[in-house]
Parts: sequence; C-alpha cells; structure tokens
Amino acid sequence: MPAFSQEQKTDTVQKPKTDKYGIRVGADLYRFARSFYDHDFQGFEIVADYRLTKKIYAAGEIGNTKITVNDDQLNFTTNGSYIKLGFDYNAYENWLDMQNMIYIGFRYGFSSYSQTLNSYKIYDDSGYFEQTVVYPNQEYSGLSAHWLEFVGGIKAELFNNLYLGFSVRLKALITDKKPDNFDNLYIPGFNRTYDGSFGAGFNYTLSYTIPLYKRAK
Amino acid sequence: MKKIITVFLLALLTAVSFWSCEKDDICAEGTVTTPSLIIEFYNRDNHTDPKNVTFFSYFSADLDTIGTINGTNHIEVPLRTDTTATTWNFRLGSSQLGEITYNTDVITFNYETKELFVSRACGFKSNFTLNLQNGTAPDPLVIEDSEDEEGLWIQEYTIEESNIENEDEVHVKIYF
Repeated sequence: MPAFSQEQKTDTVQKPKTDKYGIRVGADLYRFARSFYDHDFQGFEIVADYRLTKKIYAAGEIGNTKITVNDDQLNFTTNGSYIKLGFDYNAYENWLDMQNMIYIGFRYGFSSYSQTLNSYKIYDDSGYFEQTVVYPNQEYSGLSAHWLEFVGGIKAELFNNLYLGFSVRLKALITDKKPDNFDNLYIPGFNRTYDGSFGAGFNYTLSYTIPLYKRAK
Repeated sequence: MKKIITVFLLALLTAVSFWSCEKDDICAEGTVTTPSLIIEFYNRDNHTDPKNVTFFSYFSADLDTIGTINGTNHIEVPLRTDTTATTWNFRLGSSQLGEITYNTDVITFNYETKELFVSRACGFKSNFTLNLQNGTAPDPLVIEDSEDEEGLWIQEYTIEESNIENEDEVHVKIYF
C-alpha cells in the first residue's frame, strides 16, 4: 500500500474573536445589605445595561429608598422611588475575549417621593431656656427632583457572564419641588442634599449578562 | 483619549470622595435664628431721653440671673418657644447713701409663636408676635409687683414693634 505523506499545513486561519452582546441585569449589594443592618434604611437598586456598540452601553438604574435621618436639629423620613437612564463608555481595551469594563458615563435621574418631618428642635442661641422639641408629624407628599449624574466605574467578569461592578457618581441637581416651610434634605437616588446643588453616591453591583448575540471584535 | 478618560475618572473620584465625607453641619454664628425681645429704657418724664438702668438684673422662673447691669438702657430678653407666655423678674437697684435698695417687678409677656425652617444645620426658629393691647387675649405686657411690695418701678411702656423677627430693632420701650 502506498504511503502518502502529506504535509499538513496548520490552518493559520484563527477562530474569529467575538464580543458578547446582551442585556446585563443586576442589583446593588450595598443597598440590599444596608436594608438588613441599618434599621433606619430600607431600599434596593436594580441596575441594567445593554450593549449598543463595542464601547457604548445604554445603562440605567431603578430603585426605591425609605430612610429616616436623625440629624442634630431634625428627624425626618424620606420615602420614594427613582429612575436613572443614560449611557456608559468603556475605555478599557479588553484582551482576548475578556469582557471587563472601566467606564465613564452619565445619567439623567428623576425621583418621586414624600418626606415626613418627625420632629425638630427650635434653635435659640440665647441658650437661656431649654431647647424646645416639636413633634409635628408633618407629611409632605408629591415631591420630585431631576438631576444629572456623572459616572465612573469598573465592571469585572468573575466567571461566565457574572460581573462585579463598582461605580462612583457626582450628581448635579437640576430642579426639585420643595416642601413648604421645609427643604429636600434627602432625595431617593440623589442621596443627601447639600447647600449647593451637588451630591455624590456610589453603588456596588452584582449583575449577569443574558447573552443575545455575538459580534466580531 | 485614554488620558482624558483617566483624568476624568480621577477627578470624579476626588470630587465624590470630597462630597461623600459627611460634613458636620453647624449652625453658623450670625445666622438669624430665634430672636430675643429687645427692650430699651427711657425717662418717664421725657420719653425721648434714654435712661440707663442701675444695679439691674433679671431672671425667669428658677433659671439663671442675668446681670448685674449698669450703664446701659438696652437689654435682650429671651422668650419661651414652647408656650405663649414668659414671666421675667426685673430687679432695679438704686444707691442711696452707700446702700443699695432693690425693687423687683414681675412682667409677663404674652404673644403668639410661629415656627419657621432655617436650614438642615439650624433646624427651625421661632418668631413671636406680641398680643394686641385691649384685645380679647391677655395684654402683651402684664406688670405686677413682686413679693417685696416696693411698688412698681415700671410705670409705662410702649410697643414699638410687635413682630419679633430679629434683634436689630427695639420691640418694647419701658419708661421709669
């Protein structure tokens, strides 16, 4: 029998590198945990993003916060929901078929909430009489706020489609409907307000990508 | 492009850590909060002449005594924010032949209160409105002799401003 020796050239055509495209959904672990250990806080935040192109994602968060703040002179409870929508830009060049992210982005945020003034102290710097504490139990409902967020964060793939993420946010209040003879001291989604119109926040997320299709890198 | 993004991320992180540090809000001194009642003393025989008090002290209920005050005709009288009346003891001393004799009058101020929001750090303040004279409510000032039974040294008063919102103006003038 004749022996054919064939020189088999290794096929140099590589398997094409692909990126996964799908919808990624997750939750904020910090707010989830805080609802257990902080008896003044109850809330959750669901995060999601959807890949549009190689580097751009449509992203958003939706959540609910009920928090009681016990300041020196005031004690109040804020209760409401919020939604934030925007885009993320992945600045990280992934090697091989890694799907990690280091990104920047922005959000437009909106919240609808109510505030209840539980108690307050009347400030008198003469200090002569004992400070009066008043319990008005006054509820202010139908409050709302709009703001912009600048986001910076990372998302790392732990294993198969599961991501751990961390982001920091700088917020700028656009407009808010203030209660009468009080103020918006905490806005769900925006967090604590300050004298100016800026605020800050973060989230710590665990999310999962539901793959829809793949595209060449 | 990468440099811009790195700089942006660092700037963002710095800004956020700055804002995340919960600032301890303190009610700044000078912020207009609950005002004290401002009283000025004038001469009974000539209402435009300011008259300084002598060996003067004042206290409310069993709280601290403010004074002894000499050489001024201007005092600040705190009012209670938890009720609509505050009683003060005004003790005037006069020196005669090296000895000081005292006369204490008891004044009750009657008013309405209004609570107003100031800020997160200060909370709320109270403003007061002295009652109208000859109304159905108690008079804005009710003056009575004290246990010393020395008679009243406060003979007359006028309400200059019944809305007590700040300490920049005189609210009550007392003539003696």
